[in-house]
Amino acid sequence: MRYETVIGLEVHVELATESKIFCSCSAKFGAGPNEHVCPACCGMPGMLPVVNKRVVDLGMTAGMMLNCHINRTTTFDKKSYYYPDLPCAYQTTQWFAPVAVNGCVEIETSKGKKKVRIKQIHMEEDAGKLVHDIMPDTTHVDFNRTSVPLIEIVSQPDLSGAEEVIAYLERLHALLRFAKVSDCRWEQGSMRCDVNLSVRPEGSSELGVRTEMKNMNSLTAIARAIEYETARHIDALENGTEVLVQETRRWDDVKGKSYAMRNKETAGDYRYFPDPNVMPVVIDDAWYAAIEASLPELPEEKRARYISELGLSEYDAAQLTQSRALCDCFEDAVSVCGKAKDAANWINSEVMNILNARKMNFDMLHIDGKSLGALILLVADGKVGRANGKKVLAAMFDDTTIDPAVYAEENGLIVSHDTGMIDAVIKEAISSDPKAVADYKSGKEKAIMALFGKCMKQLKGNCDPQVLHTMLIDAIKATE
Amino acid sequence: MNHETLRRLTLLNQLSLTDAQKEDIIAFFARQEQGLAALNVVDTESVERMVHVMPILTVVREDVAAQPFTREALQSGAPDAGEGYWRVPRVVE
Repeated sequence: MRYETVIGLEVHVELATESKIFCSCSAKFGAGPNEHVCPACCGMPGMLPVVNKRVVDLGMTAGMMLNCHINRTTTFDKKSYYYPDLPCAYQTTQWFAPVAVNGCVEIETSKGKKKVRIKQIHMEEDAGKLVHDIMPDTTHVDFNRTSVPLIEIVSQPDLSGAEEVIAYLERLHALLRFAKVSDCRWEQGSMRCDVNLSVRPEGSSELGVRTEMKNMNSLTAIARAIEYETARHIDALENGTEVLVQETRRWDDVKGKSYAMRNKETAGDYRYFPDPNVMPVVIDDAWYAAIEASLPELPEEKRARYISELGLSEYDAAQLTQSRALCDCFEDAVSVCGKAKDAANWINSEVMNILNARKMNFDMLHIDGKSLGALILLVADGKVGRANGKKVLAAMFDDTTIDPAVYAEENGLIVSHDTGMIDAVIKEAISSDPKAVADYKSGKEKAIMALFGKCMKQLKGNCDPQVLHTMLIDAIKATE
Repeated sequence: MNHETLRRLTLLNQLSLTDAQKEDIIAFFARQEQGLAALNVVDTESVERMVHVMPILTVVREDVAAQPFTREALQSGAPDAGEGYWRVPRVVE
């Protein structure tokens, strides 16, 4: 018998806010234990949560990016959850009226295009962190992550294998980063997903027994886990190797196996009820319109525009649209220099080289695109040589306030038009290397490059290469 | 409420109940269910869901981070704390 895998995903995404969802503690990653805590996120009695407006902004943005209907009245609910990493003994989340519902995302795989339906997006607080290995009989609790804002994106069970799941997650990753909803860093856990999987005979409309693998935060591990779990289900159905039960499982990527953690809870177990401490949020027309107006152009729309309107190649356009930060830098640069091809070349070569050398990802690009545009103009106008332009660019990575023209002037990187000085340097080069001169005169044209290099080095790159080349030839011809 | 539901609830809430307490709870909920059955007779089809008991909507704040409390002040009343953490009896899944 042939089987098909049915997969639905719950993707948790940490939102790009300064503060937590219900209190003003910092939401930043990486502080010492319990440095970002207050009575509200520590669950102390009498504290009242107040919703961070930016969280609702980003929840709506995500909803619109994923073609969802936005609930104009959205409410928060308590989900009973008894564990020390959430000190209230409940998680404040959304159950009855989540911020966004009924959306869809288009993905593309080797089988073609497919729409994956989004059931809902809800806003909620993250849990804290438990450390079990400091003392033997004690668990240490860090509430820094408690109440850090999340959205959970719940798909319908429309995915049918690892390839589609990866395509779906990559699409979410691109859209959410483009809209600056989240940095979506898998390695820091700011994007993670629960995989709900079942298997059924091909063509059947009934769903099989569903298992859930929680907190997966690597695409490779997700793909491996899906392959393993699919095989386990089919083996159980075909050969009766085990009785499948609805449960939550843990994926061990080192051993390449999943293990039962606990029986799967159902909604009733969580005893959801409206949170009386958090007032309903009503999204009026002005708020809705402001978020709608702030939505970015989609990556594929940008790619098409860069090719059709700005004349970039497919390759350049695809390179730039890998990241919103690259696109922003490119567009700012073009707005100043008006040279799209030059700007694409600078970003796709020199900027990328520096990012790679400094082990920075695209989203860490922090130089001012307008300053890059000014630098591109300096080089295009022959005021700064390309090699010295790279030096200016490196300095711009170290200090984002640098004005390229001022920096080039102050550091002697402006191209010299002093022909007297150039002439003197040429004469010195010629007299120091008579063999190169003789070789050139005897027809070995490449011999001039040794002299050219000497001169350029002496002039510290501050010379128009074309001018130097012409003056050098004239000077060689003038020798006896 | 039945014995199976109660068993799951006590498990989830980590409660230990005597048989007599269990019977009391089941009897209590049976009386509540009778009351709810009486309420269910009322037609509420056209009644909009009440989202909140207070007539206050959209209480939001701007996204500005602050640090109004120190860790030491917050942990001063903790039964056990150290190395910057709250300490609790060991919990492992």
